[in-house]
Amino acid sequence: MKRSFCLFVLCAVLCFASSAGAQEWKPPTSMKKLPNGLIVVVSEDHSAPTFGICVSYRIGFRLEPEGRTGFAHLFEHMMFEGTPNSPKGVFDRVIESGGGANNGDTRYDFTEYIETAPVSALDPLLWLEADRMKTLDFSTKNLENQRNVVEEEVRVNVMNQPYGFFFAIDLPGKAFDTYPNAHNFYGDFKDLNAARIEDVQKFYEQYYSPNNAVMAIVGDVNPNEVYEKVEKYFAGIPSRPTPPRPTMEEKPQTAERREIETDKLAKVPALAIGYRMPPPRSSSSLAAAVTGELLHNGQASRLYQALVKEKQVALSVDGGVNWPLGNPFEYNGPTLMVSFIVYPPKVTEDQLLAAYDATIRELSAKGPSQQDLDRVVTKMRSDSYGQLEIPITRASALSHAVLFTGSFESVFNMPDELTKVTPDQVREFAAKYLVSTNRTIINRVPVPASPDAGKSGGAQ
Amino acid sequence: MRFLNIVAIVALYAPCSFAQKPAPLPKDLPPYGPEKPIEAPSVKIARLDNGLTVWMVSEPGFPKLSYTVVIRGGYAADPSDRPGISELLSNTIDQGTKSRNARKIAEEFQGAGGDLSASAGPDEIEVSTTILASKAEPAIAVLADIVQNASFPDDQVALAKKNLADSLQQQEADPSFLASRAVAKVLFGTSPYHVISPTQESIAGSTPANLRKIYAQRFRPDQTAFIAVGDFRNEKMLELVKTNFGGWRAPAESPMADIGRLNPEAAHAVFLVERPGSVQTTIELAAAGPLRSDPDYESAVVANAIYGGTFGSRLTLNIREDKGYTYSPFAELNTYRAAGDFVTRADVRNAVTGATYNEMSYELNRMVTTTPTPEELTQAKRFLVGIEAIRLQSRSSVAEGLSDLWVKGLPPEEIGIYGKKIAATTSDDVDAAAKKYFPASRAAIVAVGEGKVVREALAPFGIPIQPAP
Repeated sequence: MKRSFCLFVLCAVLCFASSAGAQEWKPPTSMKKLPNGLIVVVSEDHSAPTFGICVSYRIGFRLEPEGRTGFAHLFEHMMFEGTPNSPKGVFDRVIESGGGANNGDTRYDFTEYIETAPVSALDPLLWLEADRMKTLDFSTKNLENQRNVVEEEVRVNVMNQPYGFFFAIDLPGKAFDTYPNAHNFYGDFKDLNAARIEDVQKFYEQYYSPNNAVMAIVGDVNPNEVYEKVEKYFAGIPSRPTPPRPTMEEKPQTAERREIETDKLAKVPALAIGYRMPPPRSSSSLAAAVTGELLHNGQASRLYQALVKEKQVALSVDGGVNWPLGNPFEYNGPTLMVSFIVYPPKVTEDQLLAAYDATIRELSAKGPSQQDLDRVVTKMRSDSYGQLEIPITRASALSHAVLFTGSFESVFNMPDELTKVTPDQVREFAAKYLVSTNRTIINRVPVPASPDAGKSGGAQ
Repeated sequence: MRFLNIVAIVALYAPCSFAQKPAPLPKDLPPYGPEKPIEAPSVKIARLDNGLTVWMVSEPGFPKLSYTVVIRGGYAADPSDRPGISELLSNTIDQGTKSRNARKIAEEFQGAGGDLSASAGPDEIEVSTTILASKAEPAIAVLADIVQNASFPDDQVALAKKNLADSLQQQEADPSFLASRAVAKVLFGTSPYHVISPTQESIAGSTPANLRKIYAQRFRPDQTAFIAVGDFRNEKMLELVKTNFGGWRAPAESPMADIGRLNPEAAHAVFLVERPGSVQTTIELAAAGPLRSDPDYESAVVANAIYGGTFGSRLTLNIREDKGYTYSPFAELNTYRAAGDFVTRADVRNAVTGATYNEMSYELNRMVTTTPTPEELTQAKRFLVGIEAIRLQSRSSVAEGLSDLWVKGLPPEEIGIYGKKIAATTSDDVDAAAKKYFPASRAAIVAVGEGKVVREALAPFGIPIQPAP
């Protein structure tokens, strides 16, 4: 899949890497809080004269209002549409002329705005981030334009694609019962069309305040100078109350949920399986993360070896905890361990599931060997370094950690923590959580396109 | 990563925006600070007695390391009765050696903190991995084993053939793939670069013996480069390379001959790929472009950045930010060892198929007929230079960039020269490149979508419409 501009594939890697650094390698990193509540993290990296910024706001799909599915993401687009001080186009012209690039990402529990550029562009970019933290150009024309752009995004990524992202949209929709966790985050077109500029304004006032944000700056910078600049540009932005966080909890699942969907664009069938996971940062979260990677990460993973190689009932296996819209540590509400399996047309759903269940059963009964566990933990450590290697992705990891826990230490301590997970903990976790009563399965089967096609199962 | 494509879809990108007429900068906006010099990676070059090229970039301080082994000969070198067999070869090269089975290979890479990625390109096959630097020794040993002793076990090849056949079937649903395949055929006719993927027939007919034969022909030290980037000392790394690759011998036969330069000429016609059920039309405009080694390559890159290669480009401003026809339009120059192409692409809702083609043609011809403003030129150049510096921060990107240069016969220093050439590009250079490569009449139009929609939308332009080859 070609992305529009290749640099931006970088941030997609975030989904995969675990959010962790390592004891042996910890770059100088510090944190400050401004009186208005904005938290700033600075991490040094002098290997190249560049920097990365990530501003994360504590707002994501889960908090978007009912009747406004897809709004958090549509809103994210509006953050690029200018302010009264710097009209549409200025931000991008300044960053591109500064030799850098920017982007945004909306997820369940945060929305992030990222920039990377040579250090000569630091001052104007901080100014521009502060500028859009003060107010936006609430323009009906721009909203109309971005509504069209977002609808094309949904068409290209969902409606015109085989599988239509069903493992990320339909699976949580079936696995969860409450609106925050179950609704279609890309948005129903009727909801996108119903969005008004007043909604944009209200959403901004509620969630886009300095006290609801964490900004991380990573690169060839001097921390004291950065804090001075941040003080200068951001200190004058007043804090605002944010709405109380509604409950996200789900009633426990008691029975397996199954569904069959048809797909007019896919040529071979696919199965998505989702197990509900323990709450974030609970005692079994680490075991969950390791189990997810043990089952899904790479060709050495248990599911790949069992389903693709030994039993030959699958073409590909992907997944993990909080996959594909995040990594196993960056979530703040109910989430799933997802397995997405594409399988040959000659294999039946029952055959595939029998092979899958045998793999899970073996893990629940015997757990992994210490040797198997060590390999997976080594891979997770290496993946986490991958996320800390360059400024823009390190800035993301740091700002998310602070957003969720108030501290960035977990980013650097995680590798140590991972090595403490025991085979018994993995076995116990699998035996408790990877059971059929805790899961949802969607089987997506191809059907020939008909003249009225264009509405694949996953898109509404 | 096997499923980077799926993962890449996941991010909900909301790129930029631009006013058609640039708004003045805010009066309080602080100016850019002083420029700091950007240092290109320093590449240490060595050559083993057996002819193996070794390029090393020592970057101490961060505990990761990228290895890439790149071998000349990819799709363009495949036998004509086995188009795309390089893909099967890259899928099976890590499935067994004389001393390791497939599972052991996968586990050894995992234990080093990496995955093995093996891929086939037009001119090369590449195997690479990014690992923990502390695992440099075990990882190079298994990598060397794969490159020298792959055995293509019968059972693993049979499985890979089956899975590849199913994946090919699945690819037939993907509009991007359908468009790229048609573009390659339209541009390159029957010349080697027209193949971007195997066919069901070529896979069905391929045997382990075919793979072993091609492997023996192509995988030889004098046609291979070993590239390492990361936390190591050059002397120590060179020792490791000698230990693991020093005993490798080239066969007596001479290596395959280079193909001469190709100058594709695309017919200015619409090539339709019918895809029933499409809610969008995928439009690609494709023409010949410069080679990576051509003197006007960088000028064309700058012209493309102004035209459609960035979020701030004219095409994006026009069909995304002004008209909202599409989410992710783009234009790019692709280079091969013996050819180049220039492609513009957008996925647009069915109703604006004709309007989008009209705007693409307009923006292409505007590049040919008018000179970009000084602001546009400066922005494009600074963007390209800065982005290159950012790209080179990642060890795997440096390895990838060096591998690409080697495949195209360029020296490693080019990795640092590129930015300087971009910075030195003048307005005249851009005009000349635009006149040469950008006229819309040079481009073939490939459209993937509902046949009726495409035919009706493009009929008014009076361009012949025919089924894609």
